[in-house]
Amino acid sequence: MFEVIKAGLETSIQDWPGRIGYWNKGFPPSGPMDSWSFRLANLLVGNALGDAGLECQFMGPTLRFRHDTVIALTGADMQAKLDDLPCPLWASIAVRAGQTLAMSFAKLGARTYIAFAGGIDAPFVLGSRATFHKAGVGGLDGYALKPGQVVLGLPGQGRAGRRVKAAARPEIRTDKHWQVEAVAGPNDDWIDAAGHARFLSTQWKVSSKSDRTGFRLEGPPWTFTAKAYNKLPEHGSEPANILDQGYPLGAINLAGQTPIILVSDGPSMGGFINPYTVPSCAFWKLAQARPGEVFNFKAVSVTDAQASALAIKALCVESNIEN
Amino acid sequence: MIYAQPKFSPGGDRYMLIEFGDEMNLDLNFMGQGLAAALAGGTIDGVVETAPCFATTLIHYEPETIGYDDLQREVERLIGALGSSDDIEMDSRLFYFPTLYLDPWSKECIDDYRAKINPSKEQDPEFVARINGLTDVQQFVRVHSGTEYWAASLGFWPGLAFLMPLDPRCRLTAPKYNPPRTWTPQGTLSMGGMSTAIYPVASPGGYQLFGRTPVPIWDRERRFAEFEGDLCIFKPGDRLKFVPCSMEEYLEVERKVTDGSYKYNIVEYQRFSVRNYKNWVKRLDLTARF
Repeated sequence: MFEVIKAGLETSIQDWPGRIGYWNKGFPPSGPMDSWSFRLANLLVGNALGDAGLECQFMGPTLRFRHDTVIALTGADMQAKLDDLPCPLWASIAVRAGQTLAMSFAKLGARTYIAFAGGIDAPFVLGSRATFHKAGVGGLDGYALKPGQVVLGLPGQGRAGRRVKAAARPEIRTDKHWQVEAVAGPNDDWIDAAGHARFLSTQWKVSSKSDRTGFRLEGPPWTFTAKAYNKLPEHGSEPANILDQGYPLGAINLAGQTPIILVSDGPSMGGFINPYTVPSCAFWKLAQARPGEVFNFKAVSVTDAQASALAIKALCVESNIEN
Repeated sequence: MIYAQPKFSPGGDRYMLIEFGDEMNLDLNFMGQGLAAALAGGTIDGVVETAPCFATTLIHYEPETIGYDDLQREVERLIGALGSSDDIEMDSRLFYFPTLYLDPWSKECIDDYRAKINPSKEQDPEFVARINGLTDVQQFVRVHSGTEYWAASLGFWPGLAFLMPLDPRCRLTAPKYNPPRTWTPQGTLSMGGMSTAIYPVASPGGYQLFGRTPVPIWDRERRFAEFEGDLCIFKPGDRLKFVPCSMEEYLEVERKVTDGSYKYNIVEYQRFSVRNYKNWVKRLDLTARF
């Protein structure tokens, strides 16, 4: 379908919801970090919402097409051009064999998704095409795209000129401040009242040491309840240490004093507490936030978080596409 | 302690953590694995998958199918029906792994750490033997290899099993490296806390090192049928016996692994009965080492 001319910064094949069912062996789901934009891209080109496409991070790739097809770009604005013409976001576009899609750095947001009519063809590994490059699993060869690779597509029925209504798109913040939902637990009883108040009132800075494994946050120290100190030695020596336990995806994992939000390629277990968990409805915000930007956490209930995920699902439907 | 009632906590919109207690105790892991096994057959609609750990079971669920409160009620009912941990029985495969204890590669790795990071770091086998009150490294090898190990949990890296000694006479503990190592050879045997682990691939790490096995536990190319279409060999509830071998045997197995002719030694007819296990432990003289 296309040849990779420039790879961009870690551009990977992903599908949604990814590699599910192997958490008890330590396999993360992988998949697109902003699955809202990813689903809309697939919807635009007539695919099933989870079909394999590309996730581009911070700096997009340059691709030369070998066949006519229909594509759609969603998410961050990487100033994409098809040959010399600007390529719109949130719309399906006809591409002819020989044309080149060239993307640059992200002007707004951090991750762009490219869907191709029919989806990308790559071997299924444990039921998914999603790339988990840390272990060399999924995608074409286990890793991010490399220059010279040729990516094949599956037959599709895409139509150009379709657009996502503005109201159905995630709104990437231009003021660098994000309000991110967080559900208390599973280990919220390890943090004292002052610690909870501080967590919810702090402007947490997204560290540059953030990736698809975890988002590190910079902010004030945490304070704990007696539970964090009066514990058996097998929990470990630091207040934030706990007897190794399973980690929910989205866990705000307190590694010593550094909170790390564990995301798509994160670990399944470990020996640190998770006082809060970012629910799936807010993952797109993590995906589109850039290092140095600011998170402010808003406590929500489990049921509110579930309702928000359903609300996003309800937006990824044909009635929100205009022709 | 073992909690009178398991503790339920939410993990965002799609996860539930169930804690059975807060200590390193095989009984708690049997409860976590027993619940995971009971949930495996689609017992409760909406359960996507589970991940048992030392004293917990994490449930990933689909909230469109079942809400948090309903799931908690259903899981409480299921835990009630499981009865006491003594009643738990599980299929449990037994793996025999040829192992070169006190191997030159982990020594090289320790020496590199001593040269570059911490010159006062004692050699790991000597250190672990000393802090556990053993006479020497030879007794350490006898004690460490004198038991079957229980795959209590997998994680940190795909297929990395945290292995607990089933024979209480072989229990050992070890602190982790501080700071951690920047590299560890693939297949290295190691200990941290009360767990033994095999490094699935070469990687940084913090466990104390004392041996190496040529048998892969991670196979990205899927060359070995024993992986049954998976990329990692272990699952929770498997057992593993390290069989001390010579350098010659190690190299012979390594050669067979390289050319793809190696056959894994796996026993697959046994069920693990928690009651039988506990009855056996009760009869042991726990003051004796090997």
